[in-house]
Amino acid sequence: MDSVNRFGPELILLAMAAVIILADIGWALAGTGAERMRRPALGALALTGTAASIIWSALLIAFDEQGEAFSGMIRVDDFALFFNFLFAGTAAIVILASIDFLRRNRFVAEYYALILASTAGMMLLASTIDLIAIFVALELTGISLYILVAFMKDGRSSEAGLKYLLLGAISSAVALYGMAYLFGITGSTSLDEIGLVVSEANGETRSALVLAMVFLIAGFGFKMAIVPFQMWVPDVYEGAPTPVTAFLSVGSKAAGFAVVMRIFLTALGDGSISSDWATVFAILAAISMSLGNITALVQGNIKRMLGYSSIAQAGTFLIGLAVVAAADPQLLLGTSAVLFFLGTYAFTNLGAFIAVIAISSKIGSDQIADYAGVAKRSPLLALGLTICLLSLTGIPPTAGFIAKVYVFNAAVQADLVWLAIVGVLNSVVAAYYYLRVVLNMYTAEPASEESIQPGYYLGLAMVVAVVGLLVIGIFPSPLLEASEAAARVFG
Amino acid sequence: MEDTGSIVAFWLLAALTLGSALAVVLIRDLIRAVVLLITSFLGVAGLYITLSADFVAVVQVLIYVGAISVLMLFAIMLTPRAGRNNAETFFRIPGILLAGLMAFTISLVSLDTDWAVVERGGFEETASAIGEALLDKYVLPFELAAVLLLVAMLGAILLVHPEGTDEE
Amino acid sequence: MDWVLLALIAIPIGAVLVFMLIPSRYPQLVRNVALVSGFAMFALSVLVFVKYEFEGGSGFRFDLQLAWLENVAFLGKDGISLHLAVDGISAPMVLLTGIVIFAGVFISWNIDYRNKDYFVLLFLLVSGVFGVFLSLDLFFLFFFYEVAVLPMYLLIAVWGTSSHFGTFTRPKEYAAMKLVLYLVGGSALIFVGIFATFMEAGQGTFDLPVLGAVTYDENFQKVVFPLYALGFGILAGLWPFHTWSPDGHVAAPTAVSMLHAGVLMKLGAFGILRVAITLFPEGAQFWAPVLMTLGVTGALYGAISAMAQRDLKYMVGYSSVSHMGFVLMGLATLTTIGVNGAVLQMFAHGVMTALMFAMVGAVYDQAHVRDMTMFGGLAQKTPRLAAFFAIAGLSSLGLPGLAGFVAEFHIFVGAFNTYPWAGALGILAAAITATYILRMLAMVFFGPFNERWAGLKEMRRGEQFGGALLIAFIIFMGVWPAPFIDRISESVEFILRVGASGP
Repeated sequence: MDSVNRFGPELILLAMAAVIILADIGWALAGTGAERMRRPALGALALTGTAASIIWSALLIAFDEQGEAFSGMIRVDDFALFFNFLFAGTAAIVILASIDFLRRNRFVAEYYALILASTAGMMLLASTIDLIAIFVALELTGISLYILVAFMKDGRSSEAGLKYLLLGAISSAVALYGMAYLFGITGSTSLDEIGLVVSEANGETRSALVLAMVFLIAGFGFKMAIVPFQMWVPDVYEGAPTPVTAFLSVGSKAAGFAVVMRIFLTALGDGSISSDWATVFAILAAISMSLGNITALVQGNIKRMLGYSSIAQAGTFLIGLAVVAAADPQLLLGTSAVLFFLGTYAFTNLGAFIAVIAISSKIGSDQIADYAGVAKRSPLLALGLTICLLSLTGIPPTAGFIAKVYVFNAAVQADLVWLAIVGVLNSVVAAYYYLRVVLNMYTAEPASEESIQPGYYLGLAMVVAVVGLLVIGIFPSPLLEASEAAARVFG
Repeated sequence: MEDTGSIVAFWLLAALTLGSALAVVLIRDLIRAVVLLITSFLGVAGLYITLSADFVAVVQVLIYVGAISVLMLFAIMLTPRAGRNNAETFFRIPGILLAGLMAFTISLVSLDTDWAVVERGGFEETASAIGEALLDKYVLPFELAAVLLLVAMLGAILLVHPEGTDEE
Repeated sequence: MDWVLLALIAIPIGAVLVFMLIPSRYPQLVRNVALVSGFAMFALSVLVFVKYEFEGGSGFRFDLQLAWLENVAFLGKDGISLHLAVDGISAPMVLLTGIVIFAGVFISWNIDYRNKDYFVLLFLLVSGVFGVFLSLDLFFLFFFYEVAVLPMYLLIAVWGTSSHFGTFTRPKEYAAMKLVLYLVGGSALIFVGIFATFMEAGQGTFDLPVLGAVTYDENFQKVVFPLYALGFGILAGLWPFHTWSPDGHVAAPTAVSMLHAGVLMKLGAFGILRVAITLFPEGAQFWAPVLMTLGVTGALYGAISAMAQRDLKYMVGYSSVSHMGFVLMGLATLTTIGVNGAVLQMFAHGVMTALMFAMVGAVYDQAHVRDMTMFGGLAQKTPRLAAFFAIAGLSSLGLPGLAGFVAEFHIFVGAFNTYPWAGALGILAAAITATYILRMLAMVFFGPFNERWAGLKEMRRGEQFGGALLIAFIIFMGVWPAPFIDRISESVEFILRVGASGP
């Protein structure tokens, strides 16, 4: 039973996805009388699922139930549990933000089921320690997301879905090829055993290991949305329904980082190879930050702008990975920096996208120019979006500030001063385009005086995100300790 | 792979697989391309047999040669406005260069590497071994694959449903 | 008395929360809350200043340490704590902030356009300013520094005014963005400097007294000192990175200009003294000639530019650049008297320029132009306004008996002792200051009365009160500078003695 127990957080999400589909059929059979209650009830079911998943993860900690499950397929440790909370929390906020968005939608049940299935896939990506399970989890996450991106079925959404599908399929093929190389070199699919063989390897397998590493970075780079695997980001972010974009930008990206950390730190953590990938990550970090920020400068569409900004943010996370390779204390520092940054980034980016959902659905446009005078039409939404953008810029007292300090400090401590300087310069560039939105909301004249009222659930989601990022900004200790505990798994 | 027969078979199958794969890329006519894809799949199935992987070889024939290729043919025939031709792209030259570079790197690395080779004496049928592995050690990925299929089915229904997403 | 420093930071933050709870249809209630909390800050800052006594050692008083982050990997065991204290240098700065914000509330009395949001941002800014002056932890110093800088952006962009110069317009959005990008750029340098210091010290803490006890490698000092000097210097209007400052001052609403030129620019100079000179005495020695050159250049350049302005507010803006040049000169002397002068000048310029901006605002509110050639003989119509303006101007040009004289006297003595050429050029800048101030007074308030301004009225009562408060301190410091000099010089001696004892 230990296996099922430790698999509980994922299992309950998948079970709830099935329940939602069945309940929807039940409603169809029950006739039109209960129709009014259908959408809120399905939303409530989905939320219950995420809540139960969070509680289950908490119970696993409370009863000290960490360990392996399913004959070494998954390992539920502090690292996996950290991501369980992150993904389930993200899913919960996204579901809250979707309730109003799906007010008139026919396929609500499918939508929630897909979100839950995708979340379960993400959790698995963080907890599996076997290449085969990793690949299946990768596909489970990916396929749910392809469908969600194309969910609106209009021209732009379908185009975005197709683009995401094609590039996603290619990238998982590349990742799979990398995994095949790892298997070919070591004769095992278990990350632990691979790590063991790699650390004892002679020079004969080195070139193949480097090639495998390159393929893995290329394959997962797509999920992490880092340059040069970022081509899909702006179009998909723009075309997808905005709650899905929020989910993509937080959940999918964090899942990419989770699996990369798991593979690279467990299987390829040996000093002979880790210095190689650390260099690659350092270079990719610098390029991602610079390219993402510079391109974001000229965007007129806020979803595209946030897309490019998320590429730049991913570059900042990569600094943490680049730090990892140095000596032992840095291992903890780099990994926990990435984890902490992912935690803060989740609140920040979700908050920003929720504000975009609320504002754009009312003004019917995603153009930054149309955000003119939003502060007059909805002071609270404007304030919330401003706080999120300040957090993305890294201004105190928001969570983004602490995260920025943490990551750049890690870089300086690992003698990557040049990378820290590139990062700091980039934050100056980023300040410009984030503040431009703020400026437009507060100073420009609104096109109409009509006030913008977000729906109840959307407002709740916004409050959760903004309060979360302020609380982390002022009392970062709990999240810091959690990320360090999670990082210690690899120590 | 010591005996001459296996070596000859390997080279023949390799030539078949790569040759038809190359033709798939170069030929403009979509239908011919798919047919050549089938021969490439068959070549792969043959390679599996030389590796004593009988079950995988059969599955390769059934699924790729049988189901997927036929599905592709249907898709091409049923799409009224799909031109039967692959259009020229700007990326032809860079694509060829990149593919060449990749092939070169991969073969260099493959030759250079000390692979973890598993020695097996003679032919054993693998179906039952795979079945046991799937329901024992790899039961989690196996079950997840089932969920994956469910999700894909859900998506297929959702996306091809003739009605729009919004209710009027 | 430990609570008093925390209260200074907590009061503006508390006021911000109260403002947010007040519905925006009660603007008068917002004003009253602002008044009460402004007075509380003023009273507490006076209390801190009066109660401050040098008691040997580092001279830090009212020490308060609240643990914030402990035992996290990236910091080591001591972590970060909110460490607050005042010394003889920050005590006058705290007083200055208290005065200017209290006066600023009166000056902002008539802001009608979303006055709640305005006060929220203004008080947020003030909490950041207090935080910088009081923090003894490098991390929190930087934290508050950023808190102080950012609200400026919206304050200028929303409540500011664009400048029109016949052929072209300088929009307020431009000024706001320019200001923020310069200052964020500066803080990026500080940021790198802070972590370099943290690493080099290897103490696992950002606590300034602990970091100050470490002796840094000479080459390291030479590399890191310019990071801080430039980063903080940008905020202090260091030439040639000053160009954001006149534009920003002019575009900002009156009370924000007062706070900005009066207090915020001092944060930069304060940062150089508190962090760069204290921690890196050898780096300071090495770079002092450069700092001195830039300071003198800024003083002269600002003065000459001010002379060329017809716009009253631009003139005051450039005069701020010029006076901050004096401050940097004083710091660059690295002698007790010179640094004393710099701190005195920070205080003197703070009250004086706040008064000047307040008076320009008072004129502009009624006249809606700031071109000094369009006025004339206003003293007949508005004698008090003219008198206030004249006092600010005379202090600015260093008339004995007013605050500016005391400060500039110290700076020039210090400069003549170390770099005579700089002292001479500084005197020249002061002479130019006298020229443009007197010319401006003559043009605007004296001479033949321009009939166009027949309808001009005297200042509002709030403006008069705010102005009188500032004038009181200008005269107080001018007539009896001893309380200031006593407090400042002992702390300065401590800082420079630490510098001399390094290997």
